[in-house]
Amino acid sequence: MSSELSALMSATFHEVGHAHLVELVHQKDRAARRRLASLRLSAYDADGGLQLDRALDPAEEILDVAALLDEPARRHGRLLVVFDARYDPEVFPYRPHHYGYLHRAESTAPPLYYAVNATLGGVPDRIGAVALNNFETYLFLDRPMSGHHAVAVGNLSRFAPADAEVVSYYDGIRHVETVRLMPKAHTEVKLAPEREGHRLRRVELKALFRMASYVVGRRAGGELVLFDHLFTYFK
Amino acid sequence: MTTGLDPALDTEMLCYCTTLTFGELRAACAAGAWPPPNKERTGKLCTGCQGDLQYCLRLLGVRGPA
Repeated sequence: MSSELSALMSATFHEVGHAHLVELVHQKDRAARRRLASLRLSAYDADGGLQLDRALDPAEEILDVAALLDEPARRHGRLLVVFDARYDPEVFPYRPHHYGYLHRAESTAPPLYYAVNATLGGVPDRIGAVALNNFETYLFLDRPMSGHHAVAVGNLSRFAPADAEVVSYYDGIRHVETVRLMPKAHTEVKLAPEREGHRLRRVELKALFRMASYVVGRRAGGELVLFDHLFTYFK
Repeated sequence: MTTGLDPALDTEMLCYCTTLTFGELRAACAAGAWPPPNKERTGKLCTGCQGDLQYCLRLLGVRGPA
């Protein structure tokens, strides 16, 4: 691989029962669609076991994640899906973006559009994000929700286990849950909607190094109504 | 000292921000020249490789166990 290319590792999660598409390059320009130099997809079960690994055609515009991963997800449950991209920094002066579309089969809820979590690389200093990428926050809306929220978190390292600390806030009440994740392992940490009569207001994720993470909201029947990455708020 | 880190990883990317490969890390450590020029911010930008970087540096004898 040319050392002149830049690198980006992004990640999402996939579960059976959802239409799940990923636009491999969100940015376009007037002259032509911008393209990655190369792209590789790998998928891992909850214990970090590799279930799929393949090169993708960087000329492909929309990847049908469900068509590719429903079968292994049916056998192994939710999968951590990793996109390993190489790109020319002159083509993408900031970095490429992958965007996702999620919609549960036969659901009456609107589809969810989300930015795939850029976890490693993308050269954050190009936008001035030079500190504390491993400390992220999500603020919840004020209105109550039937169902529950959770934080889906995955460890993209090759060797290093990670202790990820999920801290939830209920007005003045703070609750901490720590999960240990081996390389490529992932889990979903459920957040109680209320504690001592106080509603969930905020969640934070902290680890020694940056994790792949999303805030997930599900209705009582399991229907997905929120799937969004956390924010660093420090730039 | 290069024991402990699989040479098959040499072309693989370790730091996605500075595009440092495992092979470049191995070569720099063997030469006693860690970090190499222009790779000083390895592990310090997105922080995603920080765990692997520390693991590899220990394997290569650059730092003692944490």
